[in-house]
Amino acid sequence: MKVAIIAANGGMFDAYKVFNIATAAAATDAEVGIFFTFEGLNLIHKEAHKNLPMPAGTEHFQEGFKKANVPPIEELVSMARELGVKMIGCQMTMDVMSLEKEQFIEGIDVGGAVTFLTFAKDADVTLTF
Amino acid sequence: MEVTVNKVLDAKGLACPMPIVKTKKEMNTLEPGQVIEIQATDKGSTADMKAWAESTGHQYIGTVEEENVLKHYLRKARTEEEKTEAKHPDVVRLDDLLNKLDGNEKITVLDVREPAEYVFGHIPGSIHIPLGELEQRFEELNNTENLHIICRTGNRSDFAAQRLTEKGFKNVKNVVPGMKDWTGPMDKSQ
Repeated sequence: MKVAIIAANGGMFDAYKVFNIATAAAATDAEVGIFFTFEGLNLIHKEAHKNLPMPAGTEHFQEGFKKANVPPIEELVSMARELGVKMIGCQMTMDVMSLEKEQFIEGIDVGGAVTFLTFAKDADVTLTF
Repeated sequence: MEVTVNKVLDAKGLACPMPIVKTKKEMNTLEPGQVIEIQATDKGSTADMKAWAESTGHQYIGTVEEENVLKHYLRKARTEEEKTEAKHPDVVRLDDLLNKLDGNEKITVLDVREPAEYVFGHIPGSIHIPLGELEQRFEELNNTENLHIICRTGNRSDFAAQRLTEKGFKNVKNVVPGMKDWTGPMDKSQ
């Protein structure tokens, strides 16, 4: 199985959607690639991914996350890396936002739209978050 | 319910997808054919374990719930398991076995699967010796007659049939394909 994911939003809920599916797929022996673009870059930014905003008005869910013992995004990111999830940062967005590869977590690739398309062209599952 | 397993994984208190991620990691440390018990409190984990096993080719044996803890039993796939050709010449089909059990012929059914597999369902009256223990325990079968050996798919039982024949047991039958397609009576010792 091959899973191609586009992460285009930078909130905490977005991060869970992306990394839960990605780690679950990788643990099921799937080949997984995520393309981080626009606000999605937050999810792999060295500092930003540790403190992602919750959508306005949902702050009260904070307790629910604790109660359900949901792992922090940091843990899911390192799990994804350990499981061999391919993470691609969008070069164009990085240029627009004046971000360098060094400002992102270890082990990511940087590429353009075609890099993702080439990965996704024979994917069994394609998702956009 | 106490079941002998090769490994126990404590995934209690963990939320999705961690029970699956941890299971995947532990599975890598098991030998093919070994059984793992995964303890989880995530209610979605039962459906996830089944689906995960199906996708990865491992065997989902079953789940029991005890005091709000789900115990999932999985057996690591043996790559050659579905492929190897049976070599023991004397085979019996499942429906023939069912007829023999209903008839007057005196037969002994030997189940060589792992303890967790046996617990989740076996033929009533069958003797249970896991394949891995057969070498030490085959003398327990000395007074049996007309041995019919069964496992899940017919491969472990094929191996057992060959070993027991080598040890001098006569008239040993391998039952094929095995418990995965058994529709006759079942005992669940839970």
